[in-house]
Amino acid sequence: MTETQTETRTETHCPYCSLQCGMRLSARSGGGRRTPEVSAWPEFPVNRGALCRKGWAAAGLYGGRERLTSPLVRDRETGEWSAVSWDAALDRVASGIRAARARGGPDGVAVFGGGGLTNEKAYALGKFARVALGTSQIDYNGRWCMSSAASAGIRAFGLDRGLPFPLADVEEADVLVLVGSNLAETMPPAARHLDRLRERGGRLVVVDPRRTPTADRADLHLQPVPGTDLALALGVLHLLVAAGAVDTAYVSERTTGWEEVRDSVASWWPERVERVTGIDAHEVRALAAMLGEGRKVMVLTARGAEQHSTGTDTVLAWINVTLALGMVGRRGAGYGCLTGQGNGQGGREHGQKADQLPGYRRIDDPASRAHVAAVWGVDPESLPGPGRSAYELLDALGTADGPSALLVLGSNPVVSAPRATHVTARLEALDLLVVCDVVMSETAALADVVLPVTQWAEETGTMTNLEGRVVLRQRALTPPRGVRSDLEVLAGLADRLGCTASFPTEPEEVFAELGRASAGGPADYSAITYDRIRDEQGVFWGGERLFAESFAHPDGRARMHAVEHRGPAEQPCADYPVHLTTGRVLAQYQSGAQTRRVRALPDDGPFVELHPFLAARLGVSAGEPVRVATRRGEMSAPARVVPTIRPDTVFVPFHWVGANRLTNDALDPASRMPEFKACAASVTRA
Amino acid sequence: MPERVVVVGGGMAAVRLSEHLAGDERFVVTVLADEAHPPYNRILLSAVLEGTHPADALTLRSVQWYADHGIELRLGARVLEVDRDAREVVLVDGERVAFDRLVLACGSIPTLPPIRGLVRRDGSLDPRVHPFRSLADCRRLAAEVVPGRRAVVVGGGLLGLQVARALAVRGLRTEVVEGADHLLASHVGPGAGGVLARDLRRLGTEVYTGSRAVRLTDDGLRLDNGYVLPCDLVVLTAGGRPSTALARRAGLMVRRGVVVDHTLTSVTDDRVHAIGDCAEHRRRTTGFVPPAWEQAEVLARVLGGEEASYDGHRSVARLRATGLDVAVLGDPERAEGEVVEVANPVAGSHRRLVVHGGRIVAAALVGDLSRVGLITQLYDRGTLLGPDEPGQLLLPEVADAAAPLPDEAEVCACAGVTAGEIRACGSVGECVDRTRATTGCGGCADVVRRLVGATPTPVAVG
Repeated sequence: MTETQTETRTETHCPYCSLQCGMRLSARSGGGRRTPEVSAWPEFPVNRGALCRKGWAAAGLYGGRERLTSPLVRDRETGEWSAVSWDAALDRVASGIRAARARGGPDGVAVFGGGGLTNEKAYALGKFARVALGTSQIDYNGRWCMSSAASAGIRAFGLDRGLPFPLADVEEADVLVLVGSNLAETMPPAARHLDRLRERGGRLVVVDPRRTPTADRADLHLQPVPGTDLALALGVLHLLVAAGAVDTAYVSERTTGWEEVRDSVASWWPERVERVTGIDAHEVRALAAMLGEGRKVMVLTARGAEQHSTGTDTVLAWINVTLALGMVGRRGAGYGCLTGQGNGQGGREHGQKADQLPGYRRIDDPASRAHVAAVWGVDPESLPGPGRSAYELLDALGTADGPSALLVLGSNPVVSAPRATHVTARLEALDLLVVCDVVMSETAALADVVLPVTQWAEETGTMTNLEGRVVLRQRALTPPRGVRSDLEVLAGLADRLGCTASFPTEPEEVFAELGRASAGGPADYSAITYDRIRDEQGVFWGGERLFAESFAHPDGRARMHAVEHRGPAEQPCADYPVHLTTGRVLAQYQSGAQTRRVRALPDDGPFVELHPFLAARLGVSAGEPVRVATRRGEMSAPARVVPTIRPDTVFVPFHWVGANRLTNDALDPASRMPEFKACAASVTRA
Repeated sequence: MPERVVVVGGGMAAVRLSEHLAGDERFVVTVLADEAHPPYNRILLSAVLEGTHPADALTLRSVQWYADHGIELRLGARVLEVDRDAREVVLVDGERVAFDRLVLACGSIPTLPPIRGLVRRDGSLDPRVHPFRSLADCRRLAAEVVPGRRAVVVGGGLLGLQVARALAVRGLRTEVVEGADHLLASHVGPGAGGVLARDLRRLGTEVYTGSRAVRLTDDGLRLDNGYVLPCDLVVLTAGGRPSTALARRAGLMVRRGVVVDHTLTSVTDDRVHAIGDCAEHRRRTTGFVPPAWEQAEVLARVLGGEEASYDGHRSVARLRATGLDVAVLGDPERAEGEVVEVANPVAGSHRRLVVHGGRIVAAALVGDLSRVGLITQLYDRGTLLGPDEPGQLLLPEVADAAAPLPDEAEVCACAGVTAGEIRACGSVGECVDRTRATTGCGGCADVVRRLVGATPTPVAVG
């Protein structure tokens, strides 16, 4: 370092997944160049300095040529984009909103948010929708993330916090069961806990149709037919009942509903489970024996178990296993959900979900409405009721009863929505589409107005990671000239729409307001401050560990729910004979809008993973293009022939346009989660 | 007015139907169960005998559940006759129960094999003799289980083998007598049957095939080949037939079972239905649970006015017996098609697929259940296979060969580091500093330790 340069190191967090790994970011100034650099923050407890290549390469998000730095307006006739001033752009948006409201009333305008937005933005967005727009039509892509686990957690425990304990607690389990999680690739630093678990003598079970790098570390890997995790849980509980492994004292003191659950699993003997799940009966027995012997048993679910039309029931079935064993509330044991998105947890707590107000309050609860309305300085009667869920909202766009204008923040549904071709058509049917983003995403490319906003380390804000730990992403870099923060965009629009409620643009001020709005709610942030987060390396809302003494239902007990296996909405048939499932690869994240543009990350495009048996049946060799088709669409990509996937199943990663043209929009009745993880497909040589 | 649905029988088909009709206000359901115990999972009785399941873990729904769902469950209700003209069933105590729809789910009844001496002069069974059909049978037999006693199981079918293994596991000296020339004769061929017999003998159970028990005397059970097997217990598992006496007396068409059409409706009376073991559909009766459940589901939809039809089923029979591995899909001895077979009597395995038009139409897997879950899926779904696939499915899974790791192979996915880059480092510490390998998920640490400082010739990993 020369004397003319200065270097500042800021403690912040990775821009991607729900682990929110701590990292230091140094921005050198001087010499006319600024090159931000990522370095380890070993003291931060969640990742202890470890990062995956996405995190190490995060600085590549900064300074790219594709970065948008001016508001853009698209001419619908010619398709041409023109750069306009912020005033012109916001005026255009405001007049479009007024026009849509004039035609369709307040619900004629919709808002679509994201699970990557900071708590402050998620909160401000919910407030903006309910107060400035007066619309009920707000939801977000987090609905497609962990909503099944959320609805199951609320039903079973009365409260949804992804992990009700610090992630490091997994190391203390005797048996850890991961259902539908490939964390070694999706959140690699978390996999270090698995190694320490096994060094301690604990055993790891992975349930996944693919033998993933996570499954490679397992003592037992079960490979179910996609969409049958629920039946496996019923079979495991059947064997635990038979073996007398149920903790009857715990069940009678701390739960309700056990008798019906017990009777409901009497008809799930191992050979029946085998027929439904494709898992050999002896492996079902091996899993049950392991769980029966474990003093501390922990079950964690992720998208593989949850992204189904039966996702909520699947999670409930696994929760039943942990409750029957008396594990929930015991340290190093219990149930948890591995949330996916960066702020998947916080994003669902502060009001960007269709049925919620800040603090994880229900929007149909009069006391909650009164409390939040008072903080916002509005009449409770003026607040709208619950709106449509994410997919149902997109499905209604541009229809007679649906919204005709949409504002999108932090989401790229053209790539990430199920049945994406249909969703794209709905977006195209809008009178006004406004997208706030950092680059020209596939969704932004359809917009009438694109607003360039700040990202990640260019702004300060809090995120709530998968443990319910609220962390602080501190601003470390200067945003490019010409961009504004999402908070400033909302404030500018609220002002133009004549809204008198305040929309502060300083994140810490927004956070303080969020604290007041959430006070007394299930997710109460009122005691959390930026200073505390800095001092304590993150603050858990609700406390570090939950459920030790009681659950959040009024009677303090957990509720067990009898659930039945139904299977995926779409089953293979003669025309579509294989199962299709989707997921992530290590070097990419979500719709790829960020990571596909980072040069240090390899981008080989999508592929179709299939078993040598299936490849031979089709006459396809590795690298040759194959065509995958479902009732909703098709795509072609090179074959990746691996013996690690079930021979009756193909896998396609979802970071590129294509995979979600195929996926099924069947919804879970409780969580409204689409069935991303299982549908029927045909595979042929392209 | 809701329809009065009366179900005769309290077995697994009856419960399934009740579950489908529960809470449907169009129906008032009465279940007449002749056993005293609330309906239970009959197919796990041998597990109770073996001791892996307590009897109460078999209860399918509590008595309270029926009450909560508006279903009248009457235990110990024996039906004497069906008065179709009056649309009433008559119980043994003379009580009459009116119905709009009658569902016969009477199951099957064990038949006594023609062995002299089973029944004593006063008409009662010899106290050594045990049928094995109901929970009461199971409890009565379990009470006689004392290690060291001698038991003979008559019947070498699925149930016989399960019971024989259960008794042997509990410490009884157990023998099996089967009239056919090999075990499981209605499902598998002689080769597979021979593998099973050897397995059983290895586990300490003698097997007598091709021989019939003819007489029970004080000395034991005498076979037609002259052997006398001394015994304290004789368990009858051979032979059962659909319970059709009620239907026959009521003038319904009965062949082997109560004859029903694709809506599970009696061909004689459209207000009478039959499901489960007692029903005969397309000249077939079954003794398995999955078709019974499928029939219950179809019938529930038919009763609800839906267009639904039962088109037959694919059966999968799995032996639940410790130490014996058997799966039978369809009818592997009679199904039409090409036979792909891999047998290794030395290792004790016999695996057969019957493939017709590229699809697995039947299978028998004995002694080696590798890929049973997958084969069952392909069979159940009628998946069209390539010409080599059936053979590949039967061959053992080959472990990944230890492949040499070329320099360009990625070793650390978290940091994107190749084997060559790691080999170029002098120590793990240097490797971490220069490449960040091992600092993400940590999964590559072992490989990195082996590669560091190695000469850039390929080395084997895995």
